This record gives sequence, C-alpha cells and structure tokens, in this order.
Amino acid sequence: MNDINSFLSRLNSTINFSTILPEIILIVGLITIVITDLVNKGKNAIFLYKIFLVSTLVSMGILFYQLISVIAFEDLYTNNIFNNLFRFFILICSFISVLLSVDYVLCSKISLAEFPLFKISAGLGGMILSCATDLITIYVSLEFLALSSCFLSGYTKRDIRSNEASMKFLLMSGASSSSLLYGFSLLYGFSDGQVQLDNIIDKILFSQYLPTICISAAFILAGTAFKLSLFPFHQWTPDVYEGSPTPVVAFFSVTSKVAALSLFTRLFRLIFPYLSNEWHIVVELLAISSMILGNLIAVTQRSFKRMLAYSSISQIGYVMIGILAADLENGYASMLTYTFIYIFMNLGTFARITLFSLRTGTDNIRDYAGLYMKDPVLTFSLVLCLLSLGGIPPLSGFFGKLYLFWHGWKAGLYISVTVALVTSVISIYYYLKIIKLMLTKTTNPVDTLKTYEKQKSLVSSVISTKLKSSVEMAMILCALASTLSGLFMDPIIKITRNTFF
Amino acid sequence: MNLSELIHEFILALIEPGILVGSIGTVSFINTANSAFSLGLVFTCISLLYFALNADFIAAAQLLVYVGAINVLIVFAVMITDQSVSSDSEKRGIGYFTALGACSILFLTIVCIFHKINDFYSSSIHQSEYLKLNLFEQNDVQNIGYQLLNKFLVPFELASLLLLVALVGAINPARDEDEGKDIAENQKKSFVSSTSPRDKSSFF
Repeated sequence: MNDINSFLSRLNSTINFSTILPEIILIVGLITIVITDLVNKGKNAIFLYKIFLVSTLVSMGILFYQLISVIAFEDLYTNNIFNNLFRFFILICSFISVLLSVDYVLCSKISLAEFPLFKISAGLGGMILSCATDLITIYVSLEFLALSSCFLSGYTKRDIRSNEASMKFLLMSGASSSSLLYGFSLLYGFSDGQVQLDNIIDKILFSQYLPTICISAAFILAGTAFKLSLFPFHQWTPDVYEGSPTPVVAFFSVTSKVAALSLFTRLFRLIFPYLSNEWHIVVELLAISSMILGNLIAVTQRSFKRMLAYSSISQIGYVMIGILAADLENGYASMLTYTFIYIFMNLGTFARITLFSLRTGTDNIRDYAGLYMKDPVLTFSLVLCLLSLGGIPPLSGFFGKLYLFWHGWKAGLYISVTVALVTSVISIYYYLKIIKLMLTKTTNPVDTLKTYEKQKSLVSSVISTKLKSSVEMAMILCALASTLSGLFMDPIIKITRNTFF
Repeated sequence: MNLSELIHEFILALIEPGILVGSIGTVSFINTANSAFSLGLVFTCISLLYFALNADFIAAAQLLVYVGAINVLIVFAVMITDQSVSSDSEKRGIGYFTALGACSILFLTIVCIFHKINDFYSSSIHQSEYLKLNLFEQNDVQNIGYQLLNKFLVPFELASLLLLVALVGAINPARDEDEGKDIAENQKKSFVSSTSPRDKSSFF
C-alpha cells in the first residue's frame, strides 16, 4: 500500500489531468458503452447512442472552458489554441455523424452495439492526434484512428462492397503509416534520440544532414498525404467511400481529414521550417493536381457517394492553399475557417443522402430526379448544402472560399488561386446538375416513384418521417450552420486568427 | 584476445550459421510447413543473438512476439491451407536476375556501411568514451518500465485501448449473426408496439 500511495502522490504532482479531461470523459463513455451492452445483452441499444451523445457534449463543454488556456502536459500535449480548435472540430464531427447514423444502423439489421464504440474510439484517436507533440503519441493515435475507421467501414459485413472497402482501406493505410514511420525514424536518429518535436528541432544540425532530412520529409509527406487523400495518394478514396455505409463515410470524410490536417500542419511547420521553400513547392503541386483531378472526375460520376468522394479530394486541395498561405499576422485563420465550414457542409450533404437512401435504397444520381415533388424539405435543404459546397454567395461556403483565396493571393500563390477559381466553377457545374435534376419533373415518373413509395412503407414502420427524427435534427443543424456561418464570419475569423506557432 | 572475448566469438559463431541455415531453408523447402518451422528457427537464433549482445529486453520481446505469436500464426495458417503441388519452374526469367542484382547491391552497400562504422568507432578516442558511459551496468527493463509510466503514459494507455478496440473489431465480422438478427427482430417489434401512432420518433 505504501508504494501505491507514494506513486499516486507523485502522479498527482507531476501530471496535470485537467488538460486531458475531455479525452478522459470520452474514455469513460467508451467503457460505459461496453459495460452497458454487456449487461443489457443486446436489448435497448438506443441507450448506448444516448450515452455517446452525452459524453461528447460533456467533453465539448469542458473543452470550451479550457479553450483559452495554454497548459503543457508532460511535454506530450500543448494546448494552444490551434490544437484546442481541432479537438473541438473533431468533437463536432463525432456528435453530428452519430446523430445521422442511428436510423441507418437500426434499419440495416446489423448489430448496433459496436458502432458507437468504434465511433468513440475514432473520435478519441483524432482528438489525441490533434494535440500530440511527441512522435510516439502521434503514431499510436494515428493508428488508433485508422484502425477504428477501418472497422467502421467494414461494418455491414453482408455487403461485398463494404468488405472490399475495408480491405482496401486497411492495406493502404498500413502501407502509408509504414512510410510515415520510416520518416520518423530518420528524424529520431539524426536528433540523437529525441522523440519530442521541440527537442528534435533543437538537436538536428540541418546544414550537415540536409539530403537525408529531405528524404525524411518526403516520406512523412507520403504518409500524411494518404490520410488527406491528396493527388497521387487519393486512389483509395472513391472505392472506400462508395463501399462503406453512408453514415460511416460521413464520419470519416470529415474526422480523418480534420485530424490529418492538424498533423500535417504541425509536423511541417515545426520540423521543417528551414526547408519551407522546398515543401511549399511540392505541396502546391499536390494541391493543384488534387483540385484539377477531383473536380474533373467528379463531373462524370453516376453514384452520389463517389461524386462526393472526388469533391472532397478537391476541397482538401483548397484547404492546402490555406496551409501554404499562413503568415505571422493571421495564423492559419483561413484554413481553420474553411475547415469549420467544410465540416457542416459535408455532414449536411451526407445527412440528406442517408435519409434518401433509407427511403429509396439507391445511390444513383439519376434517381434523385423530381425529388421536389415528393419531399420538398429534403430537396430544399440538399440544395442549400450543395450550393454552399459550390461556393454561391449568400451561403457560408462562399465566404470561406473568398477568405481562403484572398489569403492565398496575398501570400503570392497566384497559380494555385487561379486554378482553384477555375475548378470551383467546374464544381458549381456538377452541383447544379444535381439540383436541376431534383427540381425539374422527371421524364419517366413511374419507376422512381414506385420505388420511393414501396420503400417508404417498409421503412416507416421503424423510423418516423416527422420532424423529431435524429437525422432530421442533424440535417437542420447543418443547414443552419451552412447558411448562417457566412453572416457570422467575423467572430469566427477573429477566434482563428491567433494560431501561428 | 582474452577468454571472455573468445567465448563471445564462439557463441556468435554458433548462432550465425543457425540464422543462415534457417533462412535458406525458409525459401527453399518445398513443403511449406518445413519452411514455416525454419522461419521459427531464424527468429529464435536472432533472439539468442540479442542475448549475446546484452540487450535482454529486446531478446525477450523477440521471443514473445516473433516466435510466440507471429510464427505460431504463420504455422497455423500454413497448416490450415491445402498443400498445393509446387510447379517445377526451372526457367529463370528476367525477374529472377533483377531481384538477384538488387539484393547483391543492397548486400554490398550494407557491408560497406558496416566497415566504415567499424573503422570510425574502433579508434581509441571513442572506445574510451564508451567505456566511460558504463552501458553494461544499467538495468534496461527497469528503465523502460519507468519511462512507460512517466514520460510515455499517454501512448501506453492509448495502446491498451487500441488493443481493446482491435479485439472487438476483429471479432465483429467473424461472429455468428443469428443472435443479432433475433435481437433486431425483438427491437423492431418493441418499437412498433410502443410507438403506435408513428408520430413520436424512436430517438427522442
């Protein structure tokens, strides 16, 4: 007992637990979910989702409380504003994506209990990744996020496409994290055994080892560009997005991208400041090719989820301009603002797709024809979210893009901003194509209407089509955020300004 | 060379042929079970090499992880699959020579690097510095345990959670789904009966 007492007293004096309190609450939620499912023997699974939502909300509340303070936790975390904002984004992503996944999981007759478990663990991995400043913590949390996402994407195990998606995701993420690890090992070796990012910069003699540092930067770039699905490393994205169940795609189209963005920014800003010309050029090239490729291929897609996969590739291309345009007075404000708006736009679109696919069981864009007649609420909110993704003026996507491109132009990235403007116009084309399809009357009304009615009667015995369903809650939230954030842009920009480190 | 160095050389001379024979056996046995077992021989000899080099923690980890888990998994997988009749392909295509060339270049590079490092570190200045460091007196395992619970507490606990999630995720696709179907049926019935007018949502 003496040893335990002395250990606990030493623990309390050296470790400040309040900094990781949001993560601890998520862990408590995870354990509660496991134990509750065990005790209830599989009945009353909706309760598990409520536990998840409650723990996420409590975490968010505590994070708000800590948002301004800067505390270091044993050199593994640094809670500056940049990191806290990313943790907050990831909590928002988890919260909204669970709201829109409840009905889907209920309908598809697969076991309900593990779904919130994997979502909490992925959110936890993302949160710890956002504020890790230590190579080992970065790697473990990245693997945590990747593994949980892989299990989520293979969740509907009866569907062959889901199996294929999770297999592809597992193999590609394994290959990319091994290249990331090789880059880390080079850094570890040259800095004489230091694992923390700050100590690494202190000890590496950049002038002496420059070629090998460049090799290490290339490997780290390859590893992180996979998660971000930038140009040459984007091949997994359309197949995985098309195969996985729709709420899961919603979840990892925002969460893993946001977490990978924070990792990318932190690694490249802290470790390779002397190489900033080299990696700026490479990242600019990757961003331009992602924008061009994503938008051009999205024009030809027939499946909605695949089209959204390619459009998310191009959105990340735009965000890369924000990373390159960071300077002293504004920090990463443009990137953070656009990421915030992107989360709501993307989740809103996916919420509506989930609702539509629950009612009709199809993912084809052609089947959205004439939706205005059958369900005006769904149509109108989908129109809002798609226009916001495209960047049409009164909605918040326009203000996000404007700020981003203005900062990029000011920082001298003329080619990137020009390409981004051109490809934005191309993206407006394919979003408007869908909107036109929905708003006009369909040419053969027989087939789609029949399928719509039949599925509706099958499904509505389980979910309700009235306003209080959780998917509709998520839809309304995202629609409001997509439109009104544009008006409230100024306070958001002011918060995200002080983030240069 | 005094007696201790002689014993050290002798032990190394025993272990290294074991590694060599085992790896040649792994790639050239026709029966796959034999090659899986010779892979086990290679891993065990590498672990003995770590013991001889005074790295006791890594030696124990190698035995537990590689021999105890990975090799057992490989042997298990080999035993389950059918033994296909190996085709006797004697013609050596372009792939064979490319691989041969690449591997020999790699081998020569590693040998050159090791010679350079050996020349660098066997000069007398560095040897005296290393003796001052007194590396042989430290207790590796105790040091690792101390660091795991103090400096690397967060990744350590996170890795244990990762193990939990990995276990759940591995069992999830593999288990029998009939229980899940019955439970889902029960839930659906309870929903229909409890929310009769279909006005109230199932969530709130």
